[in-house]
Amino acid sequence: MRKPLTRILTVTLISAIAWSCNQSDPTPKGTYVQGVFVMNIGNFSQNNGSISFFSREKNVADADIFSLVNTSKISGGVQDYKTVGDQGLILIDNSSPGADKIEIVSANTLKTEGSIGAPDIENPRKALAVGNGKAYVTNWNTLNSDYSFPTGYVAVVDLATKKVTKKISTDRGPENLVLYKDKVFVGNYSESNGKNLTVISTASDAVTKTISFKAVPNPIGIDVNNKLWVQAGLELIRINPESYDIESTLKITSDASQSAYNFAMGSDMKTIYFVLSPDYGSHGNTYKFTITDTQVSLTNPFVKRPFTGLAVDPLQGLVYGAVTPSPLQSGYAIRYRTDGTLVDSVKVGISPIGFFFR
Amino acid sequence: MRNRQLYFCLIAGLFVLLSTAQRAVAQKDSVHLTPVTVYGFAPERFMSGLKVQKIDSVTMEQFRFRNITDLLSLNTPILFKNYGPGQLATVAFRGTSPNHTAVLWNGLNINLPTLGQTDFSAIPVAGFDQLSVQYGSSASVVGTDAVGGSILLGSAKPQAGLQVMIGRQQDSFRNSQTQATLKYSTSLNKQWNFSGKTALYDGSMKNQYRETIRNGVDMIRSKTFQKGLVQDLFFTNKKHELSAHVWLTDNALTTNPQNLAGRELTRIKSYRTMLRYQFEDWTLRTSWVRDVIDYAVGDYSKLDHAVTDRLGIRGERTFTWKIGSSGSTMQVQTGGEFTHYKTQVENYERPVITEDRGDLFVLTRFQVSPRLLASLNLRQAFVTGYNPPFTPSVGAEYRLVQDKPYTIKLRGSIGRSYRVPTLNERYWKNLGNPGIKPESGFNKEIGAEAVYVLNKIHSFTSNLSVYHNKIDNWTYWNPANNFHVENLQLVIARGVELQMGWKGNWEYLKLGSSINYALTRTSQEKVYDAYAVDVVGKQLPHIPVQAGNVNMFAAYKWFHLTNQFQVVSKRFTTADHSQSAVGYVLDNLILESNFSWSFANASLQGRINNIYNTFYLTINGNSMPGRSFAISLVLSAKTSEK
Repeated sequence: MRKPLTRILTVTLISAIAWSCNQSDPTPKGTYVQGVFVMNIGNFSQNNGSISFFSREKNVADADIFSLVNTSKISGGVQDYKTVGDQGLILIDNSSPGADKIEIVSANTLKTEGSIGAPDIENPRKALAVGNGKAYVTNWNTLNSDYSFPTGYVAVVDLATKKVTKKISTDRGPENLVLYKDKVFVGNYSESNGKNLTVISTASDAVTKTISFKAVPNPIGIDVNNKLWVQAGLELIRINPESYDIESTLKITSDASQSAYNFAMGSDMKTIYFVLSPDYGSHGNTYKFTITDTQVSLTNPFVKRPFTGLAVDPLQGLVYGAVTPSPLQSGYAIRYRTDGTLVDSVKVGISPIGFFFR
Repeated sequence: MRNRQLYFCLIAGLFVLLSTAQRAVAQKDSVHLTPVTVYGFAPERFMSGLKVQKIDSVTMEQFRFRNITDLLSLNTPILFKNYGPGQLATVAFRGTSPNHTAVLWNGLNINLPTLGQTDFSAIPVAGFDQLSVQYGSSASVVGTDAVGGSILLGSAKPQAGLQVMIGRQQDSFRNSQTQATLKYSTSLNKQWNFSGKTALYDGSMKNQYRETIRNGVDMIRSKTFQKGLVQDLFFTNKKHELSAHVWLTDNALTTNPQNLAGRELTRIKSYRTMLRYQFEDWTLRTSWVRDVIDYAVGDYSKLDHAVTDRLGIRGERTFTWKIGSSGSTMQVQTGGEFTHYKTQVENYERPVITEDRGDLFVLTRFQVSPRLLASLNLRQAFVTGYNPPFTPSVGAEYRLVQDKPYTIKLRGSIGRSYRVPTLNERYWKNLGNPGIKPESGFNKEIGAEAVYVLNKIHSFTSNLSVYHNKIDNWTYWNPANNFHVENLQLVIARGVELQMGWKGNWEYLKLGSSINYALTRTSQEKVYDAYAVDVVGKQLPHIPVQAGNVNMFAAYKWFHLTNQFQVVSKRFTTADHSQSAVGYVLDNLILESNFSWSFANASLQGRINNIYNTFYLTINGNSMPGRSFAISLVLSAKTSEK
């Protein structure tokens, strides 16, 4: 009995060595060099958000990669994940005040390198890489007791020292950030009542301009013609990011019971996808329009369902929609081709709200 | 599936054993019946066939400064969903939701009508004298909410004389509680007797932990101030009893008090009052309960204020008949109850909402023979706006073996149950559903109880129950419909409960041990949308499949040492089982010592909680504290009995 066992062990060992030699091709170091990252906010009171990850060619995800490679847990909802060089920022929102933080990780391995918490970070929303080792993070600040929004800020994060070097005050409820050359356009959360789009210079880390709107502005992205698209209420506005002139305004719908959200710029930089829903929830559809359209057509939805998160993979051009059946069970990432046909769906973490592609 | 097979084998085995035992023992019918004494509050007497566990006075005394959650977690298989020390604790009884446990105070349901549940962290053991736990549905006896079980709190009539008690507990984390109780009883004249109790308690949980993070998981800081006043008055003569009961509680919880902008206050004040009058077979009860909930974040100058009043009247009559000469007796209690609700909650669809609820019931207890006791209970509830289902139940108990060193009693019960929707479910602006149906349940259970007195020293007890409880129209704040409340789910809860005890009494030494074990399988069974398939058939979140506790004590003269183990298996924290929390074992050690003089008594207790410094989590994924200590001293004196 002993001999065959030894033989089996030897054979296994040799093949293992051979296999590991075979694998030692050094180009991609780390599990998370390429693929799709899903931000999950979890069930708010349970602080059980996560980052899910899957390779583009697979349809099975690891639901919580941070816990896989670190000894600690994320303990909060993941509002955003972005990489800056070979580092990553995870924006974590905890249900307890003063417990929000940014976890700084190695982008390729997701191993934690440190964190920044209160008072620098309070209700972090979105992150944006703005140059070498520098990121901007929008923060709502602590909400007022009547749940109204105070003046928020953009935290300037230096990833080398893992410190917030500056807080730039913005309007109420700062949310999405869009980079154009050395300018960052900061919009606000739809319920915040903050009606100014703030322009920050990445060179001076200071506000250089504020642009007022009738409704809360939300910057979507820069199109193929270097124009900035901003959504404000039920209007889409094309802006010249150099002169700040409004070039055109499109009405999405005049039905005030509807809300438009989750805008995503296509990989062609010509198509914009968005959700239109009467309840920010299970009702509504997902639509698309192209930047040359003279009006937004709602006759043929892109997909006849809303999503809790929407993004387009710049590499493959597939459209990713996030589905949250309930905050007590896993969500799904559903992939579509640009013509709206279904590719597949991937089970992810609890309450997915967004995607990051690498 | 394996678990289910296992417990069915277990049950089958037990019944084979019991039936052979029956054949071995010759029948013997000359049993002495204890005279029937109807004592007002206790609905337990119509619960034949159901499992009722009375918590003994020694245990009550041992937990005097603690919360009812501690007492029940360590002495019953009931599970609590705990948000942290001094923070919200809701119950999961036999695999059901917090809405499915009726909490009765002297027979009156005191669940908050807005939420339809009780925050057990706001109920200290100091607030009542008697505690019984009734397992399984008893809605036909108790009324709404009694789906998974009932917690019965009661006042006791003090003995003759004057008793004074004052006590204080000091715990780790700068927590403390002070209590004072005065009990008095005297005869007013030849006919009338007067007795009463006045008790005050004042607790402060500052929870100043030395560490704010354990195993990388944050501990949420909180402060709880808890005050209460209990007043019972009894006027009694041979035929009449008039009693008044008042229980005022004030529980103020602040989470994250250190963060002035983000701190969160939840203050629940309850005023519970009751007047009872019993004349021969008639009982009349009036009650008024006001629950005030104040909530605020950051700035406490403007509170979210909710007030609910309940004004109730209940009348009942008991009939007792002797049937034949065989000693059969039938007792019927019939009556009705009417309650007027008035609620003012900011987020309700109207500023003031009123609702009337009524109940008609017939409760029957039939002692068929000395061995066989049966009950048939019928109830019909009425609620403004719609009709809850007619709720019958039948139960029986059969003394299989008696007059032996051991006794075996078999019991079984089948009954419907219902739950009137909470005021939140009916009236919450936009999300509530005035047309929501009441949940309806169907509970079946069988059990066996055995007592074995081996000799003058050793005695053993055991109690086994198997149940199956199906609850249809289970309400659900449906996320797929923007959290509107809907009757979407069908939940089946089934399980086994086993209790075993041993006591050894020597001259100076007393040893004892008890084990509680619960196997609970509870799952949602209805597919109501495309994503429900990820959830159907899976154990409900936060409810462990296995849980139990082991208590061991040793007493020598005036020293008493108790060890309390609590074991909870892995719990899933999401409905689709994608996340879970590991199981844990907690161990507490209590050393007590009593010093007695002719008129006075002093009782000193030292306690170590969580001896092994076990790391475990609250229901929202935060860390619970590690090892902690408590010391308490109770001084009491009473006049000598005449």
